Amino acid sequence: MLDEFETLFIQHFNDNARSLAYYLEKMQGYTASKKALAMPQDEVISEVKKSNLRGRGGAGFPTGMKWGFIPKNSTKPKYLVCNADESEPGTFKDRDIMRYTPHLLIDGMVIGAHAIGANTGYIYIRGEYTREAKLLQVAIDEAYSKGYLGKNIQGSKFDFDLTVHRGAGAYICGEETGLLNSLEGKRGEPRVKPPFPAQSGAFGGPTIVNNVETLAGIPYIINRGGEWFSKLGKIEKSGGTRLFCVSGHVKKPGVYELPAGSVTLRQLVYGTCGGILGDKKLKAVIPGGSSAPVLTADEIDVIVDIEPLMKIGTMLGSAGIIVVSEDYCIVKLIRRITRFYEHESCGQCTPCREGCRWMEDILDRIERGKGREQDLALLLEVADNMSGKTLCALGDAAAGPVISFVKKFRADFEAHIRGAKCPNV
Amino acid sequence: MSKCIIDGREVEFTPGQNLIEVAKKAGIDIPFFCYHPGLSVVAQCRMCAVEIEKMPKLQTACSTVAAEGMVVKTKSPRTAQNQKAVMEFLLINHPLDCPICDKSGECDLQDNSYRHGDLYSRYTEERRTYLDLDMGPVIQKNMNRCIHCTRCIRFGDEIAGIREMVALQRGNNTQISTVDGRALETDYAGNYADICPTGSLTVKDFRFKKRVWFLKKTSTVCEGCSRGCNMEIHQDANVIYRCIPRENMQINKYWLCDEGRFNFQYVNDENRVVAPMVNHSVSDWGLSIDQAKKVLMGKKIAVLVGSDLTQEEGSHLLEFLPKHFPGSPIFHFGTPGLNTAEKDGDADRILKRKSKTSNLHGLEKLGFQGFDKMPKEINAVLVIRGGRAILPDLKGLVAVGLGVFMAPQVEEFSVILPGTSFAEKDGTIVNYEGQAQRIRRAILPPGQCKGLSEVLMMWVNSKSSSGAA
Amino acid sequence: MGTKILSKKFYNEMIQLEPRYPTKVALLLPALHAAQDEFGWLSPEVMEEIGSYIGIHPAQVREVASFYTMYNLRPVGKYHLKICTNVACCLRGADELVSHCEKKLGIQCGETTKDKKFTIMEEECLGACGTAPAMMLNNDYYENLDVVQLDELLENLE
Repeated sequence: MLDEFETLFIQHFNDNARSLAYYLEKMQGYTASKKALAMPQDEVISEVKKSNLRGRGGAGFPTGMKWGFIPKNSTKPKYLVCNADESEPGTFKDRDIMRYTPHLLIDGMVIGAHAIGANTGYIYIRGEYTREAKLLQVAIDEAYSKGYLGKNIQGSKFDFDLTVHRGAGAYICGEETGLLNSLEGKRGEPRVKPPFPAQSGAFGGPTIVNNVETLAGIPYIINRGGEWFSKLGKIEKSGGTRLFCVSGHVKKPGVYELPAGSVTLRQLVYGTCGGILGDKKLKAVIPGGSSAPVLTADEIDVIVDIEPLMKIGTMLGSAGIIVVSEDYCIVKLIRRITRFYEHESCGQCTPCREGCRWMEDILDRIERGKGREQDLALLLEVADNMSGKTLCALGDAAAGPVISFVKKFRADFEAHIRGAKCPNV
Repeated sequence: MSKCIIDGREVEFTPGQNLIEVAKKAGIDIPFFCYHPGLSVVAQCRMCAVEIEKMPKLQTACSTVAAEGMVVKTKSPRTAQNQKAVMEFLLINHPLDCPICDKSGECDLQDNSYRHGDLYSRYTEERRTYLDLDMGPVIQKNMNRCIHCTRCIRFGDEIAGIREMVALQRGNNTQISTVDGRALETDYAGNYADICPTGSLTVKDFRFKKRVWFLKKTSTVCEGCSRGCNMEIHQDANVIYRCIPRENMQINKYWLCDEGRFNFQYVNDENRVVAPMVNHSVSDWGLSIDQAKKVLMGKKIAVLVGSDLTQEEGSHLLEFLPKHFPGSPIFHFGTPGLNTAEKDGDADRILKRKSKTSNLHGLEKLGFQGFDKMPKEINAVLVIRGGRAILPDLKGLVAVGLGVFMAPQVEEFSVILPGTSFAEKDGTIVNYEGQAQRIRRAILPPGQCKGLSEVLMMWVNSKSSSGAA
Repeated sequence: MGTKILSKKFYNEMIQLEPRYPTKVALLLPALHAAQDEFGWLSPEVMEEIGSYIGIHPAQVREVASFYTMYNLRPVGKYHLKICTNVACCLRGADELVSHCEKKLGIQCGETTKDKKFTIMEEECLGACGTAPAMMLNNDYYENLDVVQLDELLENLE
């Protein structure tokens, strides 16, 4: 099925890899930023464009193109911000990059900063990752002490200061403008767009926000070429390898690295992850973090990448794949997912603030056996009244799963309503 | 001029204008809650979302700048469905206590519900409720009615310059409040109620006083300082219930300070002298004028004219006084320590001016001199004012008052001839920038109070002779 | 202002951090973290002091602090157990951990034991779904947990 390939990240996911010495010795450490700093900015951006690297945070936006949005003639300070909020349930790959290969991320950030002309960068890391924040700080201190960060980096006359900024428990800070507000010391409420961060982001300056995995791939692109990176991907428009986070009812949950577009969901679940826990039957797969619409067991012969999943009405998102076996209550599951979005809704826009709670209340009733016949229609309408109508994507993140669960597992909901209890438990 | 198409009509716009403003100019109302032309745009309520050709999602009109050739549909089925949905979302947790809500009748939530909402509610869950902490003397809060538009937060932050109203907690539990029941600190708190699109923030002073639909509105100008903020007086049955700001982009934009807002209270004050008084006893007009003349007879009189009088009143006095009080010095007064227009200036960074009267600049233009201190030879004063000018220390001189006075202020006065306040007369006042504005009569003078010209006429026609020495 | 509640260490940390940001308000989240590290929670007095240090209204400190779930606006126990009950952990038995913990400590989620030793809270996704169920004990992660391990852990704390 898969040819052997050299993983970019996973082979280094061990406790010895995080030191500067390891990075220099085993990973051509900081040669990429040295090389990039000698290249004109446009050339760096065009190399990244060639690589077909698409954002790994969830939206899948082409990274090179994003960098190209930074206005060249702006006199305001520019910022590069690494989104290390990793808050989408089912996602846990960035944590591994930060704790095992922090220098790879720093290297990538120096390159990105140079490409967009930013002298200041922040790694916005979710507050719970206290250990990872400390490890990053150690790596940053090391990099400063050896001239890989700070003033006149590697003799290039390019200055770049990098600061770890800790979040404090808010999913919405994974949304880039919510993140920027949080970085500025405000409530992490998403901003109205436009203006987009590339025009006016952190502290009013042109800003690029990139995910950890995205930035950590950059040194490879510079050292080995955009074309090489692009060819790692086995599907059009998606370069590189991808980190898949598999959790739930599989025998071997964890982070897996595979060439982009190289496997189907079935291969991933039954091959890579060793199948369903207890050899039970598969009930459902959520393919892209809990905000992705759910797939049934019949829908998993699909390539796990952006376009193929989009075609069947769901999304790859942050590649957080949650596997559910036959004996888990589907209603309980979606109620729990909805509760999460209700808990994390920032509350500023009407449909999300009111809709999330309403959906949760209805689902809660259904799960407790107090559902009514008309509840499913109501649930779908409430979800529809949120979809695409909220200020940021959280409304869709909450509504999408509800719609998909009700449509695909209607019988389970009806059994709860009519039988006043769960048929599976 | 750039053009776009709204609901099939070609509409002109100035580049940079948002769709709400462009549509409004063309007579098309796009409903909204969180948008306010004087505050930053947050696009939170989602009520103003409209369909725009070539855009897959509905776009909020408040945050969308009109573009050449843009085709906008404000009444399409999709737009209407969203409005219905937003209304439903906003009302599921709203107490619907319109019968006892002061905002009822001028409530954006009520109006938009009527126009765009559904006839029935599908909500059967428990409504969200809050316990409210006090917020000080000006504003009454009722969080249950709040729709989280954050206008108040933005008003505090962006206009009043103090982030005292904030959103606490988040999501469905978000509560808009001051912290720990702190009183509002700004002197502009009344505006919080004006801009609140529901009855969540109301003015305590107006609470349960009057249903708003009974109020008659008079457009006038505040007399509280030399800014000349535009406002409306709301009255019913000759009683003023409140004043609210009236938009004037050159002067006060949408705002009014609390001092100006509540200044009207003296008009209704129970201490106000509303009948002619001679030595603390009610008298009639003829006798009082005779007595006034008698008291002043043979005295060295100074005439003090409040800078809260109108240009018309000032001009009239400039004709009247030299004839009837020849040789008497005439001074204007109003704000202690501020006796020339030159000394006037901004009292804060928002609206307030140092001059506590409305027409200092106008009276000076007419030629009145500011009062500094009483000339030595003077042994009697004639004080003429509206209700606002602050009396200087009269040092126990014989005094006759003409105008609006509160009983405790005038215990030393020999005669009071009750006059009219700013709310009871028409006239012109000139603000610090030299802009002449009309004040308008909202109510009839109470009791036996009379306008200045009528009193001067009676003075002239009275048989006793004037008293100047 | 009277005497300062926050330590010299806190102020030194802030002075070091200040040049890393173009505005002083950006210090707010780091300041709240640092203060909580000192006291275990954020009292109104502490938040007031942070506000006056940064130069913002106390209400602004509160609106930010109350937005983020990691800031404790009420005192918590010496051992703060935050058990993830999000999807992946639930699929792997987090509910069992919660009910076991509640039973063992005799308190409900969100409560603190009378001796102020333990607080249990249900936590949203910790980003450790591959090693679910997971929980945080103060600042540390515990992963691949089961009831037996949890018991051992709790006993070592008692």
